[in-house]
Order: sequence, then structure tokens, then C-alpha cells
Amino acid sequence: MNVLEVRDLATHFFTLDGVVRAVDGVSFRLARGETLGIVGESGCGKSVTALSILRLIPPETGRVVGGSVLLEGQDLVKLPESDMRAIRGHRISMIFQEPMTSLNPVLTIGTQIAENVVRHTGVSWSAALDRAREMLELVKIADPRRRLQEYPHQLSGGMRQRTMIAIALSCNPQVLIADEPTTALDVTIQAQILDLMLELKEKLGTAIIMITHDLGVIAETAQRVVVMYAGRKVEEASVDQLFAQPAHPYTRGLMRAIPRLDAEAEVAGRRPRLQEIPGIVPALNQPIAGCAFAPRCPFATGRCRAERPPLIETAAGHSVACWETARVLEAAA
Amino acid sequence: MTAYIARRLFATLPVMAVVAVFVFFLLRLAPGDPAAIIAGEDATAESIAAVRAKLGLDRPVLEQFVIWLARLVQGDFGVSIFSNLPVTRLMAQRVEPTVALTLSTLLIAVCMAIPIGVVAAWKVRTFVDRAVMIFAVMGFAMPVFLVAYVLIYIFAVQLNWLPVQGYRPIAEGLWPFVEGLILPSVALGITYMALIARITRASMLEVLSQDYIRTANSKGLATQRVLLLHALKNAAVPIVTVIGIGIALLISGVVITETVFNIPGLGRLTVDAVLKRDYPIVQGLILVFAAVKVLINLVIDISYAFLDPRIRY
Repeated sequence: MNVLEVRDLATHFFTLDGVVRAVDGVSFRLARGETLGIVGESGCGKSVTALSILRLIPPETGRVVGGSVLLEGQDLVKLPESDMRAIRGHRISMIFQEPMTSLNPVLTIGTQIAENVVRHTGVSWSAALDRAREMLELVKIADPRRRLQEYPHQLSGGMRQRTMIAIALSCNPQVLIADEPTTALDVTIQAQILDLMLELKEKLGTAIIMITHDLGVIAETAQRVVVMYAGRKVEEASVDQLFAQPAHPYTRGLMRAIPRLDAEAEVAGRRPRLQEIPGIVPALNQPIAGCAFAPRCPFATGRCRAERPPLIETAAGHSVACWETARVLEAAA
Repeated sequence: MTAYIARRLFATLPVMAVVAVFVFFLLRLAPGDPAAIIAGEDATAESIAAVRAKLGLDRPVLEQFVIWLARLVQGDFGVSIFSNLPVTRLMAQRVEPTVALTLSTLLIAVCMAIPIGVVAAWKVRTFVDRAVMIFAVMGFAMPVFLVAYVLIYIFAVQLNWLPVQGYRPIAEGLWPFVEGLILPSVALGITYMALIARITRASMLEVLSQDYIRTANSKGLATQRVLLLHALKNAAVPIVTVIGIGIALLISGVVITETVFNIPGLGRLTVDAVLKRDYPIVQGLILVFAAVKVLINLVIDISYAFLDPRIRY
């Protein structure tokens, strides 16, 4: 059963340089209790997808122009703003990349957790503060009673991100959207936060959309992965399928760009040079004919530049948008 | 915190001392001779000299300064040259209208300016925002006396809703007191309102683009809570600063407003004393205004700590 289904979502920004198609027809499903990874480089539209689901795109800059977002069958795109507010923080919550700036500097931690609880459950303020203390215990912040009285600047980056998780999970949401939740943290703290999120997911049964540019994070947390490029979904597969047999040239490029320090590379006596993907992400303020990755793709043909490739299922649960899949897989083998 | 306040209060002493030195010598440097004015138009040289000796103005300036300062620290501001009344008593008589006018102006300006600034920032680049900005530019550009006469013409002369001028002490009843304050407060407050509204809008705009506002929205909080708690509390420091600076501007505005509306306050006392070269009164008033200003700065600095928990003294 899918808790969330995104169909043909399109979000455009209206700028002086023209219409920027930040998200251009993206679809995916999220099953109850599942973790779905969305991966891609900066500017591929993964954060905009997340903000579009919650309708948090500032209306003076851009808006969702097409598609639907179904939360248990209810289309959020068509919902009045007041109903949408009742869903945010309650049924769908979000945590953001920058723990240093995502909490309000002039309000106490307790206030920032409790206000979410009061807003969506209507309990008294003191009951909400009790709940806030419980949540701080749940995210393993020591001495929660004291922390409730403190302000964000008295907390470390890791603790702030734990606080964000506590806020996001305080009303037992069905969906948690995590937009690069560990990117701004130290590596050791990153692992702690990811472990915490997985543990809480098991405990609370929350489905997670994990947005990241880091395939390592995907490998550790997700069951399924959506790869995005230039506002479009280019590949979707289970984590095992994706790492075993990446089918899109862009996904393959991303994988080659991960540094390898493992034994296999050591034994071989050489550490392979990191390979970058040549070229840059296309400007999104002009319509892209054909495949958006074609200008950077070693397999590109005339057809790739002229016709947009449809998503084709290559194996059960593995789909890819590429005209040259056969050649790509052959080259890999 | 208490230690900080004590330290700051102590630090006001040298500031006030410097003000005292400046006040005393600047007045002595200003052209015009009080003795000649008091003695009258057809006074002889002897009678002017007699007046000068009586006032102690014939002594060396430095000696005059020391005598003045010694009395000052005992709370003695001297005696008016013309009326022979103690300066402290003259000021006490005039304090109520000025305090009433200043406070009602502040109240009107702040209560109007902050909401319209917040709404303008919230509805940025819409008709509402543009209307507020036009008002802000015009309000800031119009001199107090112009606004005052326009208001008098409309609301007092044409509509006859409010008195043209004058002041009724609060002891004579609340409504007569309030009635007399409305026009002068609005006239004096418009500039100030425009200033605070602009700063509120600018400060709110900056805050509204911050990550934590997006977080607040992602919790589905009501717009009022996001604007008035999450955003305004963060935007408050510059707003409070400008309110403080504005109080200094108000002091000069009070002089003009009291003249236009014929209100017997400290502003009028100042103008009259300056025109007559009544040194003791002018010195006393400047010192009082300076002390008020220093105290307001202190209050504002302390308020920062309450608005922003990251600020600690």
C-alpha cells in the first residue's frame, strides 16, 4: 500500500531569465514504512520536489504547475492552504539540510517542539512540553529537561539536527522528508544521525524520503532509489539493483565519482583515479529536446539529442530513461 | 545583568560631564548679551554693568563654570535670569504636557507602524506593500508643521471634531486631556511612524527569507504565529534601535509641535529661553534632554538581551 504517490509533478520558477523547469514530470511511489532515496547533483530538482510535496515553494517565485501528490489517495496539490497546513508537521514532516539555521534562534527548544504538538493534537501546553521532553529522550539528547529551556545556539550541530528530528516526529507523521539531513554535519555525527533515523523509522513505522547527493547515504538507508537529473527521473531501482547494475549513463557516472578506499582497490595495487562527469548541468530555463544528459553522455547518439527517452522497465522494479540501455549494459559487462 | 546595568549607569557620568562642559561653553560663545536684554532697550552702560554684576556674568568664565557645576551636582540648576524662579520649578511646571505628548506620539506611532510594516513585508510587492511604502516616503518627507496645519484645518476648523490648539492637564478629566493630544500626537508621529514602518518592513523581509521561517511553515503553524512570534521577535532588534533613535528626533519635533499647537511644555520653554538668552534654563533643559537620551540608550541596550537570547552582557 502506497502512503504517498507523486505523479508527473512539475514545478516551475518564474524568473527574469524565463521559466525555470526545476521539476519536469517526476513520478514515484512511497510504500508505508519504506525508505526511498532521491539522489542527484545540486540543482537536479530533488529539494524542489520535496518542497513541492509540502507546498512550501514561495508563491512569489514559483509553483507546482502540473501533476498530483496523493497522500493516501488525497491530492495535496488541489487542497486549500488551510487544509494543507493541517497536514504539514502532522502527517508529512520535513527536516532540512542546515541544522545551524533551521531552528529559530530566539525561541527555546521546548517551545519549538511543543508548538508543533499543540498545533496538531490540540493538547495543553504543559502536556505538549511533556511530549517534547519525551521526544528529546527518543532522539537521545541527554538531560532533556534542561535542554527544553535552552536556545539553539547552546546546542551543537548534531544536537540541533536531533532536535529537528524530534520536532518532525513529534506528531507521528506517516511521511518524513529528509532533505540532505547529514550533509552539513561531521562524518562521525552523520553516521549517528542516520542510525537514529533508521532506528526511529523502525520504532514508529514512518516512511522516509531521503534526499541526498551522497550514494553512500543511499546505500546505508534506502530500499529504493530514484535518480534525478535536470528535473527529471532518469532511473529507479531497488538499492541492490542500482548498485549491482546501474543502467543509466548518469548513474554510472555518479558511481565512478565515489572515492574508493576499500580492500579490493588496495589489493589490485592501484587506487583508480576519481572520474568526474564531463560537462555541466544544462540550464533549465530553456526547453530541453531529447535526453537532458545527452551533452555529457559518452553513449549519446543523434536520437538522444532529438527525442526524449521514455522510462522503460529493464527488470522487475528497475526502470530507466535511456535510448542506449543495451549498449550501456554491454559496455559494463 | 545587574552588574552590567550598574556599570552602564556609572558610565553615564563622564558622558553627562562632557555634555555639561559643552553646554556651558557653547552658550557663552553664542552671540548676544543677556545683561543688555534684561536692562532694556534704553539702558545706559552703567545699568547694563550693574545687571551683569548682579548675575555674576562679570566674573571670569572659568569661575562661573565652577560655581555652576558645584551647584549642579547638588541638584541646583540655578535661577532664571528673567523670572527669578528656580529652573527646576520652571521645568517641573512644564514637564507634564511634554511627557504626555511624547508618550502618546510614541504609542500611536509604534502601534500603527509595526503592524503596517509587518503586513507590508508579508504582502511584499503587492498593492498593500506599495501603498505602505508610498506613505512611508511621503510621511518621512513632510515637515511636522505642514502636517500639523493640514490636520488642524481638516479636523479642527472644517469638521470641528477636535480643538484647534491648547492643552488640558489630565487633572481636568481624561477626555479633554486626550482630545487635546490627538492632533499634535498624530502630526508629530507621522514622520516617526513612517520611519518605524520602513525599518519593520525591511527587517521582517530579511527574517522571512531565513531557513527557520521555512521550518515554522513546515510545521503548519498559523500565519499569525509565524509572522508575530517566529519572524517579528527576530526582526525586533533593529526596530527597537530605531524607536530609540526616534525618541531623540521626537525631542526636536516636540519644540515645533508645542509651538504650533500652543502647548505649554518643555519645548516652548526651550524656545523662549533661547530667544531671551536665559542661560540657566537653557543649560538645565539641555542637560535634562541629554540625560533622557542616555537613559533611553541604556534601556534599549538592555532590551536586546530580552529579545535575543544570544546577546548576553
